[in-house]
Amino acid sequence: MTELAQAVANGLQMGLLYALVAVGLAIIWGLMEMVNFAHGEFMMLGMFGAWWLSATLGWDPLVAMVPVGLAIYVLGVATYSQLMRRVQRGDAFAQIFATVGLLLFLQNGAVALFTSDYRFVSDTVLARLSGTQLSILGVKLGVPLLLAGLLALVLFIALYLLVDRTEFGLALQATSEDRDAAMLVGIRPQRMFAVAWGLGAALVGIAGVILANFFSVYPQVGLSFTVLAYAIVALGGFGSILGTLCAALLVGVVQSVTVVYLPPAFKDAFVFGSYLLIGLFRPQGLFGRF
Amino acid sequence: MASAGALLKVERCTKLFGGLVANRDVSVEITSGEIVGLIGPNGAGKTTLFNCISGHYHPDQGRIVFDGHDVSRTRPDRICHRGVARTWQIVRAFGRMTVLDNVICGALTRTNSLGRARTKALAMLEFTGLRGKDGELAAGLTLADKKRLEITRALATEPRLLLLDEAMSGLTPTETAAAVDLVRRVHADMHLAICVVEHVMEVVMPLSHRVVVLDHGEKIADGAPEVVVRDPQVIAAYLGEHGGARA
Amino acid sequence: MRRAALVAGLVVAIAYPVAVQMTGYTYFQTVGFLVLIYATLGIGWNFIGGWAGQFDFGPHIFLATGAYTAALAAVHWSWSPWLGMAAGIVVSMVICALITFPVTRLRGHYFAIATVAMWMIAQPIGATWELINGSRGLFIPLTPATSSWEAIWTLGWGGRSKAFAYYYVALGLFAAAMVLAYRVDRSKLGYYFRAIRDDQEGAEAIGIDSRVYKTLARCLTAAVFAAGGVIYGFWALAVFPDQVLEMNWAVLPMISTVLGGIGRLWGPLLGAFILIPISQVMSATLGTGPLAGRGLDVIVYGIIIMAVAAFRPNGLLSLPWARWFGRG
Repeated sequence: MTELAQAVANGLQMGLLYALVAVGLAIIWGLMEMVNFAHGEFMMLGMFGAWWLSATLGWDPLVAMVPVGLAIYVLGVATYSQLMRRVQRGDAFAQIFATVGLLLFLQNGAVALFTSDYRFVSDTVLARLSGTQLSILGVKLGVPLLLAGLLALVLFIALYLLVDRTEFGLALQATSEDRDAAMLVGIRPQRMFAVAWGLGAALVGIAGVILANFFSVYPQVGLSFTVLAYAIVALGGFGSILGTLCAALLVGVVQSVTVVYLPPAFKDAFVFGSYLLIGLFRPQGLFGRF
Repeated sequence: MASAGALLKVERCTKLFGGLVANRDVSVEITSGEIVGLIGPNGAGKTTLFNCISGHYHPDQGRIVFDGHDVSRTRPDRICHRGVARTWQIVRAFGRMTVLDNVICGALTRTNSLGRARTKALAMLEFTGLRGKDGELAAGLTLADKKRLEITRALATEPRLLLLDEAMSGLTPTETAAAVDLVRRVHADMHLAICVVEHVMEVVMPLSHRVVVLDHGEKIADGAPEVVVRDPQVIAAYLGEHGGARA
Repeated sequence: MRRAALVAGLVVAIAYPVAVQMTGYTYFQTVGFLVLIYATLGIGWNFIGGWAGQFDFGPHIFLATGAYTAALAAVHWSWSPWLGMAAGIVVSMVICALITFPVTRLRGHYFAIATVAMWMIAQPIGATWELINGSRGLFIPLTPATSSWEAIWTLGWGGRSKAFAYYYVALGLFAAAMVLAYRVDRSKLGYYFRAIRDDQEGAEAIGIDSRVYKTLARCLTAAVFAAGGVIYGFWALAVFPDQVLEMNWAVLPMISTVLGGIGRLWGPLLGAFILIPISQVMSATLGTGPLAGRGLDVIVYGIIIMAVAAFRPNGLLSLPWARWFGRG
């Protein structure tokens, strides 16, 4: 029983990290209604950024978050302005296709630069805390993961406030609801889309930096996170940011609990299976309305 | 044509979207061979009602009975097989296919043979006057022709009830007259029941045997055009829009 | 004019291996073999992606089911690969119908993600299922044939004649796939697929059950991928998960088709014809240098895809001269 409770606790912490991975997609898709198969590749680049800065300059990932986040923000904006802007007028198919091209380009670009070898970010601040644990209600919470999860939560809340409470966020929502009306009040849709892409990419890139503390870094890591992010966004119901958080926590727990009973190779398979089941029984997501 | 029951019975149809009541307790009957006009101010719930009849929405309460069968929870494709065809407020054609191929798709509802579907499609195009454009891509047609194509395609499915959702909107007076003429010919030659949603009174009133008026999701009138037009409730519903009813 | 081109192309296709046989390098025939295999798979992808308009990123799970079925049949019952292919096609279509029908209600990219999810679920299954020997894979027992006819039945060629013979097998497979595509294109199925692609709701309103037809489209894709998987598996003499479930099996046919003209009959061949040689040329020039095996060819593919998507969403066959290649 405590094994189960432990799994749930771990799952919740991982869920916070997943929420950060997924929220960028929730913005790009949910608000902007655009597809991004290369979502996980931005995360992968974030991981490599963290590794590279650590290996060459000795920077800790917590520090690397800032420059890597900024760099990936720029990449996100460039992706929109150079690529997605042109396919926006096309159908969903063209959008999927364009981002598949981006996926192949980024993934294999990473292979070309770094090879497919697994890398690790070593000797991080969080790693040095790995001995310490908090014990709550008989469940042990490792401090590193807990801190990472809390960091992710803070960023998540910051994003929520940005979108929901600031003028910029309202402009973003306005653009997604009615582009023409938004133009009438002086909002430039192209600029909004570009920023949304930058923001979405930066967030998942930063999530990658944080995850680099715990996961190995390799070029192919992106796609499964893309599917994970989509599963979370779909479960959370059409880009609702709060829904994304709840869905991410749920996914984290499901994944964690699965590993208790099934071989580790099936860890993700169960989550993906749940995505398919949701598609079958409740396509509007757990929290969406129809 | 001495059928006892009505072809279509909408019984107390209620449809909600979140907090919005699009249709409330709407009951309508349509018998074979009738042309029924469905009118009402913007947002009255006319298209919602159509969507409930054609199966794209399912009523939250009430029933839709077509030809004696309860089709309240039936999928749109099965409802088409039962004999209901429709056109759309925002015209939909298969843009990347030719005019002929569009209609063939409709004809394939009733046959598996491509040859027979083609023959039927050509006959329909001949009837509606689009035969000369059968090789053109649907996306390149004028609005009037697209609407005509939609009707042709719907007719190819051999319906017994045809739902026309604002088939005249966006057309010039000449095009509108041609469209009205087409509807009359369809009714005369094919003995269909037709339900027409329209905003333009001059079109609906002369065309319909009977008129049903919706306002804010509820039915407020149902009868002969000349009677409905004088109904004080109907006049009140339209007062804000038109400033007075037309005879 | 079109007829003449077709005949000329056929002559070249048939004569090609004979001509290069003189050079003594089986390499050219193998390239031809791969082009034809990928073109065949591209035709397969065209059913679900081109005509039905549903983006399928995981059709290669059926390549695996086909290859494994035939391999198992060969290992346990000494079945000929042709019988194995028939079985593989049936098995793949059944599995496809079962797992695809439930997700047909998903639209656009949610459907695409579902296909990726299916692929990702297939990976650990492939790696751990004892029946198919898990990640160790299955080796196909092939005794060299004693006569030409036996070789055709067991695909048991060895040595220099192998590449030569397999080219023609692939050519035959490609031709069969083209015939299938041609027949479907001009059938009720073809019309219904394209209707769903152009306007799913409109299609339903004229009596098309989109769930059924999307599933059928994918089953046709599954059948072609299964057949291709069998031929490839026997050519490689082994089937194992990392090999058959590799992403390239999904990506290359898809790119070939889109590049060559999505939904067009000859699109996949044109696309494969352009793409595969790029890959081969790159391996040749990079040789064993530092950039070899670094996926440079896929980088090029990625750039090509992005360029096509941005500037020519309908692929090369939307150019004026493309009307030659059949309707879309």
